[in-house]
Amino acid sequence: MARDHLIRVSDLSVTYCADEGMPIRAVDGISLEISPQEIVGILGESGCGKSTLAGALLRLLPPGAKSEGGILFRGLELMNLPEAELRALRGREIALIPQDPALSLNPVITAGVLIGEVLRAHLPLSAAERRQRVKELLCEVGFDRPEEIYSAYPHQLSGGQRQRIAIAQAMACRPGLLVADEPTGKLDATLQSEIIELLSKIRQQHGTAILIISHDPAILAGFSDRIAVMYAGRIVEVGSSAEIFGRPLHPYTQALMRIASSMITSAGVISRFPAIAGESPDPGCIAEGCRFEPRCSERMDVCSQRYPQTFLPEPSRLVNCFKYGE
Amino acid sequence: MRAKVTVLIVMLVGLHGVLLLAGFFAPYDPAAQNRELSYAPPTRLHFKDALEFHLRPFVYASAVVMEGDQRGSYQEGRSREYQVRLFVTGASYKLLGVHESTTHLFGVSEPARIFLFGTDAYGRDEFSRVLFGGQISVAAGIVATVITLFAGSVVGIIAGYYGGWVDELLMGVNELFLSLPWLYFLLGVRAFLPLHLSTLRTFFLLTGVIGLIGWARPARLVRGVVLSSRNRSYVLAGRGFGATDFYLSRRHILPEVFGLLLTQAALLVPRYIAAEVTLSFFGLGVNEPVASWGNMLSTLQQYSVLVSYGWLLAPACALVVTSVLYSSLAELFHSRLKSS
Repeated sequence: MARDHLIRVSDLSVTYCADEGMPIRAVDGISLEISPQEIVGILGESGCGKSTLAGALLRLLPPGAKSEGGILFRGLELMNLPEAELRALRGREIALIPQDPALSLNPVITAGVLIGEVLRAHLPLSAAERRQRVKELLCEVGFDRPEEIYSAYPHQLSGGQRQRIAIAQAMACRPGLLVADEPTGKLDATLQSEIIELLSKIRQQHGTAILIISHDPAILAGFSDRIAVMYAGRIVEVGSSAEIFGRPLHPYTQALMRIASSMITSAGVISRFPAIAGESPDPGCIAEGCRFEPRCSERMDVCSQRYPQTFLPEPSRLVNCFKYGE
Repeated sequence: MRAKVTVLIVMLVGLHGVLLLAGFFAPYDPAAQNRELSYAPPTRLHFKDALEFHLRPFVYASAVVMEGDQRGSYQEGRSREYQVRLFVTGASYKLLGVHESTTHLFGVSEPARIFLFGTDAYGRDEFSRVLFGGQISVAAGIVATVITLFAGSVVGIIAGYYGGWVDELLMGVNELFLSLPWLYFLLGVRAFLPLHLSTLRTFFLLTGVIGLIGWARPARLVRGVVLSSRNRSYVLAGRGFGATDFYLSRRHILPEVFGLLLTQAALLVPRYIAAEVTLSFFGLGVNEPVASWGNMLSTLQQYSVLVSYGWLLAPACALVVTSVLYSSLAELFHSRLKSS
């Protein structure tokens, strides 16, 4: 079973050690597997550790962050890999689509050169071959006139075009896994669906597995095969896309879905935005029990005493809630 | 503003062009001595003789005339006029060190001489020596600046990019160098080495020592810029694509440091020219008979020479002009940097 997985994250934790004050555990004991060609969505609100998780997968965390646990990628344990081998892996085997392409593209370098940089880091191509490859990549991500885009500076491009450049960068070396950190975060609705379509086309053509991170259930709904719901640094529920949306198990997921559906049905007559009462816990001081307990409508006595272990109420579904066990 | 910039650039290019082609612009060989014409004052250019006005300037031949027991003084022999001519043939020189030539921009026929800035104790033409000395002094300033900025930016980028203990170590050494009184240190280092070295070796020794002491300040400035730019999203994204640290710092970080380096260069060149002049002034730099602005000024250490032969301050004036031009350039770069 384990051999089938492209990447297998086990009990991964990331702690930020500030100079003063308590260390902050942004990601806490996450386990997740991604199979080849699979699209897995990570759904969670801001500050739940989604982006930290993405960084940890590439072993790219700011100094002062400590990660523990295991990341097994194609039989390689990334946690023990020396920096030089990690560098050879990044961009070539695992590629990251950064959160905001307006910032992640150097404003003084043209788009073509920026994409070429990735090729240059990994493949021994001549300048002409590289140029050719970049143009192919530009066509692939949906540009009609690659020549023009090749010599355009990032500020001359629209938000959607910049996002395509970022995707072309990530796809340059045909990685096995694409980690997309909020790839649609800065785009409007029509562009969002275009980018999502592009990503699913890439999966179909190249068999790339994609880990997509988003705070928006609507983005993940039709796109991901499986969805992991994150709350306060932990995964609270994993299931297939249809199951999560059709029949959410965890009270947090249920609350999220209620909000998502009420936003859609009551469009036009929004008198007040639906919300989950309360706030997510301060990552600096986390209590013993279930993290969602203070906001949960179905809390039980046991919830505040210890963190619920993972239950398997149904095959291929994982949920961390005492409703489904004990 | 635009006109000012143009004027400044033209003047800088002109200055360096003249120094570079010193052999052509100088009427005489800088080492040629005329013992009978020592401390001759600057030759006067005349436009008017007893009869009429000439468009082309001319000079009279000068000679020392003794009056009784008194010290002699230079007087012009008005009997014959010598026109100043362009593109005359004179002493041979090598243009840019390769092209042999004997053509000089201007000159007069013998026995008259044209000494625009007068002569020194050995009767050598001060104007020619200012040009040839400027070659050495300005080149020393530029080479020392290049060494300084190269060393400074390498150290600064490493310290800023890697941070942590590397940064602390490098910045510790940096502070040590910053706290050195560099002029005295330079004097000490130079005094420690053999006094008479070939000009070329002295030159590289001098610039090397200046450069190695000077790296500290630019390193600190570069580190600051790198520190802020290494966490830019595109640098992080580059790391995410597996770019090497060397590539990232060259491609994405160095360009941000570039403006700073340019300003620093414009500030450092006049400073290092002054450093070379100071060392040569004390006799620790370039040795006679090769001219440098510093060793030309060293005769002025004698008070009597300073008060009697004021024209020997010409190299000091050249130094001031050069410094002002470079400082204006630095000012220009700085204002550009701030506005962008």
